[in-house]
Amino acid sequence: MNRIKHLLEYDFRNFFRYKWWIAGMISMNLADLIIMAVVYTNMVSQEVSQKYLNYFLFFSPGITITALFAAAFMIGREINRELRREISHYLLSLPFSRWELAFGRVLSGGLRGMVYMAPLLITTIFITWVFTGNIPSVLGILIILTTLFLVSVGTSGLSITMSLSTRSFEKFVTARGVVYYILFFCSSVFYPLDFIQQLGREGTLPQFLVLIAEMNPLSSGADTTRAFLFGHPAYSPFMLLNVALFALIFVLTASFAYLKILQG
Amino acid sequence: MAQIALFGLIANRMVKEAVQIEAGGNYFHFYAAGIVITLLYSMAVFISYDIYEEADHGVIEYLLSLPISRRELVLGRAIGGGLRSFLYVAPLMLIVLLMIGITNPFRILIAFAALFLFAFGVSGMSITIAVSIKSHDRFDILLGALNAFIVRLSTTMYPVAFMPEQYATLAQFNPLTFAADIFRWGAGLEASLLANPFLSVLGILMFFSVFTFLGIIFYERQLEGGGWR
Repeated sequence: MNRIKHLLEYDFRNFFRYKWWIAGMISMNLADLIIMAVVYTNMVSQEVSQKYLNYFLFFSPGITITALFAAAFMIGREINRELRREISHYLLSLPFSRWELAFGRVLSGGLRGMVYMAPLLITTIFITWVFTGNIPSVLGILIILTTLFLVSVGTSGLSITMSLSTRSFEKFVTARGVVYYILFFCSSVFYPLDFIQQLGREGTLPQFLVLIAEMNPLSSGADTTRAFLFGHPAYSPFMLLNVALFALIFVLTASFAYLKILQG
Repeated sequence: MAQIALFGLIANRMVKEAVQIEAGGNYFHFYAAGIVITLLYSMAVFISYDIYEEADHGVIEYLLSLPISRRELVLGRAIGGGLRSFLYVAPLMLIVLLMIGITNPFRILIAFAALFLFAFGVSGMSITIAVSIKSHDRFDILLGALNAFIVRLSTTMYPVAFMPEQYATLAQFNPLTFAADIFRWGAGLEASLLANPFLSVLGILMFFSVFTFLGIIFYERQLEGGGWR
């Protein structure tokens, strides 16, 4: 465990070296919250947002989860760079077992996502408290944090798996763009899941997109937060199970892929 | 495309009837046209990353050795930046126009000319910022923040009527608002326009003139005596 701690330190130092990226992300998240969410609150029909009081309150957990996802995804970019510049050879010379190295990188990607997301989650809880007076219970906060941690670790694993599948940075960036768009826009980050399901029933949205939105770990993460903040949608253990499965699959895939690359 | 097909389609069903009216009858069309402009803006801004890369790899010295004047070089970069972003966005622009329905080809040509000047101006703005701030990191921070706010404080994604007063005031002077307005006018979405299309063209012309002029002055100055290093 002590050796994994060194890896975490290495990855956190790298993360904070990307000051420009963090500043850009913070600006984007702030602009989404204080401009886009405010304007859409005036535009979205009451029928859609009334369960959450208004669209602004609905959207703020969504922004939190997109920030978590983007920050956790950063590790893939670094590992892709290490692979291209053969820094992985240096990492192999360090006194870590291969498993510690592989698992440590996935874990640190996930923890970085959590650290970046924390101020936004606090802001979301604060905003909800100001508007509704609701504060989640200690158990609720623990479930939210566990769910978000699993989303973050799974995202880190997904990103590492993608980064190891190609040495080309351009291909990685393109694949990242596709994954970002599908996971962001086909989820309950921007719109309630029951509304997406309604559009599916009406035939406006194809059923496979509805299924992606239902299985999407970002939907489960955002809806778990909403469930404990507003009581809607109702919390279901399926949400935790869904993100746990997502995390398990991608932590294992990324660890095996990383081991294979290191040994190759 | 994913943003238009997913977010645009779902948001179109989420918004109030009043939004549909303000958006000229169809919020989906309004949104799709706006996304084209955001993409055009994002692509045109990209030219300055090339300038940083050229400085890093010593390509600027090569460019300076070519038999062209400094002014031509700068003007060429801005036109190139605008043109390539226009070409990049062209397929999406065409799809959106076909989706909305081309009603008046003459108007579309006017809109294209104005949008080319807009892309040209954005490239000039990006070059001006890049050469004024020599640090790549600082440039990234500034541009990231500028992009986040300039896009959201415009009418590319939502009609001005639903923006809080302070945001609406800023949006009225935003070059992205002018560009979105003129593109929507070209596509026949007149009811959603913020102002007279000629005012939008005038706004784009002013934006283009100021930043092309500034870009030329700053870039020309930086090129002399290795000032870009």
